Amino acid sequence: MSLTEAPTTQEPEVKQKPSRSVRSMVRDSEIDVRMIGMLGLLLVIWVGFNIMSGGTFLTPRNLWNLSVQFAPVAIMATGMVLIIVSRNIDLSVGSMLGFVGMAMALIQAELLPDWLGFDNPWTWMIVLVIGLVLGALLGLLQGAIVAYVSVPAFIVTLGGLLVWRGAAWSLASGRTIAPMDSTFQLMGGGSRGSVGEVGSWIIAGIACLAIIGYFGNDRRQRNEFGLKQRPMWATVATAVIGCGAVLGAVLVMNSYYLPENVARAVAEEQGIPWPAGGLQIPLGISYPVLIAVGVMLVMAFVANNRRFGRYVYSIGGNPEAAELGGINTRWTVVKTFVVMGILVGIAAAVTIARLNAATSGLGTLAELYVIAAAVIGGTSFTGGIGTISGAVLGALVMQSLQSGMVLMRVDAPMQDIVVGIVLVAAVAVDITFRRRTER
Amino acid sequence: MTAPLVEMKDMNVSFGGVHAVEDVSIDLYPGEILGLVGGNGAGKSTLVKTLSGAQKADSGQIYIEGQPVTILNPRDAKALGVETIYQQLALAENIDAPGNMFLGRELISGLGNLDDSAMEAATRKIMARLNPKFENFKTPVARLSGGQRQSVAIARAVHFNAKILIMDEPTAALGPAETEQVRQLMRQLKSEGIGIILISHDIHDVYDLADRISVMLQGQLVGTVDKDDVTMDEVLAMIIIGKLPEEVTESELQDLHG
Amino acid sequence: MKRRSYLIALIAVLALVVAACGGDGEGSDTTEAGSDTTAAPGTTEPATDTTEPMTDTTGGDDDLVIGVSWNNYNEERWALWDEPAIQAALDEAGATYISTDAGSSAEQQLTDVEQLITDGADALIILAQDGTAILPAVASAAEQGIPVIAYDRLIEDPGALYITFDNVGVGRLMAEVIYEQVPTGNYIIIKGNAADANADFLRAGIEEVIGEAVTAGDITIVGETYTDNWDPALAQTQTEQFLTQANNDVQAVVSENDGMASGVVAALDAQGLAGEVPVSGQDGDQAALNRIALGTQTVSVWKDARLLGQAAGEAAVALAQGTALTDVEGVVQFDSPGGNSMTSILLTPEAITQDNLNVVVDAGWIDAATLCQGVEPGSVAVCE
Repeated sequence: MSLTEAPTTQEPEVKQKPSRSVRSMVRDSEIDVRMIGMLGLLLVIWVGFNIMSGGTFLTPRNLWNLSVQFAPVAIMATGMVLIIVSRNIDLSVGSMLGFVGMAMALIQAELLPDWLGFDNPWTWMIVLVIGLVLGALLGLLQGAIVAYVSVPAFIVTLGGLLVWRGAAWSLASGRTIAPMDSTFQLMGGGSRGSVGEVGSWIIAGIACLAIIGYFGNDRRQRNEFGLKQRPMWATVATAVIGCGAVLGAVLVMNSYYLPENVARAVAEEQGIPWPAGGLQIPLGISYPVLIAVGVMLVMAFVANNRRFGRYVYSIGGNPEAAELGGINTRWTVVKTFVVMGILVGIAAAVTIARLNAATSGLGTLAELYVIAAAVIGGTSFTGGIGTISGAVLGALVMQSLQSGMVLMRVDAPMQDIVVGIVLVAAVAVDITFRRRTER
Repeated sequence: MTAPLVEMKDMNVSFGGVHAVEDVSIDLYPGEILGLVGGNGAGKSTLVKTLSGAQKADSGQIYIEGQPVTILNPRDAKALGVETIYQQLALAENIDAPGNMFLGRELISGLGNLDDSAMEAATRKIMARLNPKFENFKTPVARLSGGQRQSVAIARAVHFNAKILIMDEPTAALGPAETEQVRQLMRQLKSEGIGIILISHDIHDVYDLADRISVMLQGQLVGTVDKDDVTMDEVLAMIIIGKLPEEVTESELQDLHG
Repeated sequence: MKRRSYLIALIAVLALVVAACGGDGEGSDTTEAGSDTTAAPGTTEPATDTTEPMTDTTGGDDDLVIGVSWNNYNEERWALWDEPAIQAALDEAGATYISTDAGSSAEQQLTDVEQLITDGADALIILAQDGTAILPAVASAAEQGIPVIAYDRLIEDPGALYITFDNVGVGRLMAEVIYEQVPTGNYIIIKGNAADANADFLRAGIEEVIGEAVTAGDITIVGETYTDNWDPALAQTQTEQFLTQANNDVQAVVSENDGMASGVVAALDAQGLAGEVPVSGQDGDQAALNRIALGTQTVSVWKDARLLGQAAGEAAVALAQGTALTDVEGVVQFDSPGGNSMTSILLTPEAITQDNLNVVVDAGWIDAATLCQGVEPGSVAVCE
């Protein structure tokens, strides 16, 4: 059943003269050009700071610290992507973090010890679960009001920003709650909060295999359906670079050794005699980073491979089309807020574990950094556009800027100025770039 | 005379105080194209939306293949074999052609994940029939030309074994070659026994393609006529003045071209 | 669907009401404060409504209304210590207490002050969010003959009574304790919010103690920074970066308050340096005092906020009764950075270290159980 009765020129299914222009090569390889741009920006920042800080920035120690510092924002940014993509916004993220964090801190510092005693091995898990459930409930409430009562998300979450902050204060009358359960603390990094050398290499190995497996599976699937393949060189290159990046990152993590006193303490605990030259115990991947990467992978998977993710992007692209397609747009929106709440719970856990305390001002202004990370990562406020990995990169870019500036002895007010300028510049560049490549 | 594919009896839709559709009854037979025409604000799109599930009727009853049905949302309509090509196409701009084809009805693999490869393959198959030159299966539809977007919308409607096809201004944004393609497709579908409701401003198009024509004016049905029984001018008179062919005078017909 | 929307809206409104009631600082039970001390007897009376109509201001002592403008309730101490102390002093004098919370907004505070005046305040106690931005409101109050007390934070208006702990003295005290332990070496200084004059007062006090040593080269400051909002998490990151830059060769960290000190200690702990590197702080936060008992923080300069509140309450009553500014009990003249000669009451802070923890316990500021949590038996006298 062909529509073309008398086709003018019936081209056979052969490739026409292959246009080896860079543009078509890039398109065929399906490489995300924007992502390359972001990585380039990151590289420039890293190398620049390394030079300006006299070689301190690109040390394993600083990079290890950096990875822990950016984790909470990265975690929350993945959720913010889905919310902004579906044409909403969540301004209450910082206040939610304060409230959930304070709740978790109180539970482990004042409530549970009465029942389970201090340093019970179950404490951290109970607290974490409660935190996640609490975050989910807050998100459910906000999402329901947005989706079913049709109050604009800006307003609802603005209200949330005020309400949850006040609630955070009331929970402990403004007190600082400390310390956290010792196992719980590990989630924040610190000298004991990492996987260690062997664990890190195992994880690297698994990751590498997974990358290869992913590309292999992709090729197999396309073969099965007779679809166009990425050129072999592109697949191999991307896989190699990906694998290389993972192994490189783990190498850096494993090059950061425990500070001497801690190493001695560990040696003592494990009954290892202290050798003359000292003992180099690598820290490896920190738990916050593990959590952040895990979150990123799950969120990226959901965004790209699950109906929920597809619906979120459809709503962003054309809410009416989504409705006409039979998608339950309201329920989808509620879910984006619930997911955001859960992620806030995770980020709150990491944050209070790292600080080993919860203050009533915890997370103030965090929403700005989370939104900035998503936006620098390519998420657009018009809806429908944005990637999870971009947001994580965006968070890394921003934290690199801030931490790097401290190394350079740039004072706090100036840091704010720089971050603000970079944010606007990054988005301006992105928008211009997008316009140029459209049509 | 076969039984009607679709019967819409005494449909009413009001928005606030405005009676957009008032006691309108139309029907559609298998293998026929029913032209639904009228000026702006006549209520054609609204009427048709009650069939496609995008609008709830305040009162009235729809029968499909003789059975009374309730259509509350687009899913219900699709389940009954009603597919729609909307005037605005209802495509998600940021999503590619296969994604739009299966919007809301995505193909799922064993583990419950989106089966993008299967969807792409299916889309390629359909497009090979409808629009063999179509190549951009991975680009967001925002970047496609008007004709390509149209073919995606059409492919979507055609793929899911619709019995009833609603086409709202399908050629409005198309050039002559593509318009011809769409017309041929409609004839093809007609020959397969599918019933088509065609809404169009282009009286020539409607006159050319439709078997019967229903005319609406300000929410009400002026009348339904067989194309063979009327002239184009008489149809125009129904649209503009609201008078049936047997009522309209020669001078009024002349005035239409004034 | 409609019914569901209404139900959800109802739940939402209920939730908001509940949260708002809990969040209302005024009147929330101060007994929630962890220490079950009888901190300030009779302070559990709920505050009166801020919108109480104006009573006759020309009446006698019993009709005195004192208005307090808070800058932000998020700091631990205001509601826990200062407010109850002010209220107690006012109760004793038979005066009425009304208050507002500016939520960290300088503009909001201008409105708040006007509101207090409208509500009939005979004297104002202002904890300024921004000491310069509040000047118009202070001037306006002066025009209406309402005396103003600048509470804890400086307001550059010579007509106002400045009641504070000598913040320069606080800086001096914390630096003295640290300097005694670390006369030479590398220092990190974590300062407070750049827009807060107190941050600079403290720094001036610190400078008095270590300035010479720095010039002589005995002490090197390897890292110094302001910290937005006095944020502990930010302080942690900054300390981490400074430690990295200095390759852990740091012998002391001066933190301008206890909140930030928790971040500093967390950063030190990650490097195994907690307990080895002396850390300072101020405010006498419970968590900080616990750290002092544990040995991870060296000193917290304690300003018994109750004394500050009491002094302010008493002075406010005196001023409202017509006492002249310079006749108020205990005032001295203090030269402000802005060149004004401020009539001031300067209270003396106290440095709390592991040696004198009993002071805070005896004063009822913190209970022994909270103070000694996690402390190894036998290491701290107070914890036996």
